[in-house]
Amino acid sequence: MKELSLLQVKEQEEVIIVSVAGGQMATKRLADLGLTPGTQIKILRKTFFGPLEIEAKGSRLVIGRGLAAKILVRPL
Amino acid sequence: MNKTEKLNVVLAGQANVGKSVIFNYLTGLHQHIGNWPGKTVEKAEGTLHYKGYTIDLLDLPGIYSLSTYSIEELVSREYIALQKPDFIINVVDATHLERNLIFTLQLLEMDRPMVLALNMVNLLKGKGIEIDFEKLENILKIPVVPVAAIYGKGLTEVLGQGIDLTKKNLKPTLLKYGKEVEKQSEELISLLEGIDLSYPKRWLALKLLEKDEEIEKLVKNKKPEILEKVKSLCSELERIHGQDSSIVIADERCNLVSRIAKEVMRITKPRKVSFNERLDNLTCHKIWGYPMMIGILGLVFLTIFLFGNWLSSLLAGIFSGWQIGFQSIFGSSLLSSLVWAGMESVFSLIGIALPYILPFYLLLFILEDWGYLARVAFLTDNLMHKLGIHGKACIPLILGFGCNVPACLSCRIMETRRERLITGFLVTLVPCSAITVIIMGLVGKFVGIGWAFGLYFFAILMIFMMGKLASKILPGEPTELIMEMPDYKKPNLKTVILQTWFRLREFIYIAGPLVIISGIVIAGIHQAGWLPAIANFLSPITVKWLGLPVITGILLIFGILRKELILLMLAVLLGTTNFAQVLSQTQMIVLALVSMFYIPCVATIAVLRKEFGWKRALGITAFKIIFAITIGGIASRLLNLI
Repeated sequence: MKELSLLQVKEQEEVIIVSVAGGQMATKRLADLGLTPGTQIKILRKTFFGPLEIEAKGSRLVIGRGLAAKILVRPL
Repeated sequence: MNKTEKLNVVLAGQANVGKSVIFNYLTGLHQHIGNWPGKTVEKAEGTLHYKGYTIDLLDLPGIYSLSTYSIEELVSREYIALQKPDFIINVVDATHLERNLIFTLQLLEMDRPMVLALNMVNLLKGKGIEIDFEKLENILKIPVVPVAAIYGKGLTEVLGQGIDLTKKNLKPTLLKYGKEVEKQSEELISLLEGIDLSYPKRWLALKLLEKDEEIEKLVKNKKPEILEKVKSLCSELERIHGQDSSIVIADERCNLVSRIAKEVMRITKPRKVSFNERLDNLTCHKIWGYPMMIGILGLVFLTIFLFGNWLSSLLAGIFSGWQIGFQSIFGSSLLSSLVWAGMESVFSLIGIALPYILPFYLLLFILEDWGYLARVAFLTDNLMHKLGIHGKACIPLILGFGCNVPACLSCRIMETRRERLITGFLVTLVPCSAITVIIMGLVGKFVGIGWAFGLYFFAILMIFMMGKLASKILPGEPTELIMEMPDYKKPNLKTVILQTWFRLREFIYIAGPLVIISGIVIAGIHQAGWLPAIANFLSPITVKWLGLPVITGILLIFGILRKELILLMLAVLLGTTNFAQVLSQTQMIVLALVSMFYIPCVATIAVLRKEFGWKRALGITAFKIIFAITIGGIASRLLNLI
């Protein structure tokens, strides 16, 4: 199935995390917040050049643009 | 007779779960906010009495895990492992159960008696969430107490359950992760047997599998051969799961939590677009969010500025009346004028604290408690990235326009030491309200308002350039923004007021000594008649390089105490407030420019020292002096060409 970065996903779309290509630190940090491969997330809000707001496991998180680019997802 | 027993209890939980509300409810005014020894991490302790026990309650920082991502996490896990609190109260936001439980599992691994305070249960119904408390208790095998902290509901039961645990000396039963992880950690546990480390063995084993560098160092000192084994176990895990072993462990926790959440939680009604989201559609809008932010923050600033100016001139009037009284009683001998200088420093401290810092903290905490500061971070992340830091840094920088002191203290919201230092440094470049007095009173009034705004623009430009430079020079990777978007909630007045009060007290403790001592020293120099000599000594810089009158040397010395003294002393020394008679327009601009950058005021230096140590505080100070002189001289030459 087609994989894309979280940045390419449109607002209000739901996707599943496939992998995180960031450093160990960032990956671990995301996992602490419950964002591991297999987690279903929804893009709530995007900004022009800034971070993204997403919803996962019932809570809302903000993720910096650089990190979002490293999160690979696939459509539901 | 029964002696009262002392209990050592910690509050642990993620950010925004209502931990501070619980802490303030339980301890009230019996609390002490300080720093962890040698760390720029806040330590909030308090005492309370319950059922004949004296409970020392420690509010650990709000964190999301017990790894090494931030200093807060390190401090927290060291405290739990080394101090072995009698029990842990894990505060959990019931409306975000799944995310919160990931941290709960990590706390359970620390192997201390623990009570789960399930906070915000009062909001569950409105959100259409049902939680089976008993089932959760059975799965986690620790007491689970539903709590509504804002009403103080359930808190005494939390304490009661905790005390019961310590009586029975009940430690939690550990939850099992996946088969391979368990097998490998058991293998490590047996190897760790006989090694004297304060941390629980299973926790150590898991951390070793997670490749935790701090723990690797600890183990290396005791029994280096274990690390070889760890390496092979990690690569075996990686072979089976196809990803880094640290992620495997984190995955295991997430999976376990997902299963628990499925068991105990039920969504009873479909999610509607909440009030929260509708408000966010406005406040976080990609276009309209910005004017709204400028509006809200502008209003906050205007309030503080107007209130501050009103109160500070009121206070100045009162204090100057006292000076005449003081002199008529004690005369004007050397000693009495030094005593007066000390008292004057105390007044000036009050003159900063009450009119500016108090309303600042009050409004800041209201905005934070309401949830708006997270939105500001969201909106400004892009801009802040250009400075090499992320969105959260916007808050200290904005605060800096009011007063650099609370701004430097608020750099603690940044996660890593690197980010804190960059933000702290940039904050000292932000023109505070005292500098606004100089810019407006000198340049705005006598040169033109356009030039005054030009100076602000220049300051902001410099902040951007310095931010870029600092983030290039300092070692380490810039951290990306990862934060929770908290729901809006009604600010809890008691928490806001208590937090403001303790911060204000902290400011006076930190800044007080240095402000008073330097006030007396400068008065002593003044009394000894050395000021003109110093002004002459500085004249190669002030006169030759900056093109300013000799007396500015004296002004710049007084300005170390408080920046607005530069303008006040100028009027005193010249005997006129019509500065146009004595200074050319170029000189005014250069003086304002130098005042803006040349040194952080004493109170700011005190805070910088507290947060970053003497070496860095003096380093920043020295840099600023050289920077201001360089820029001032260049400006003086360029302006004379016009």
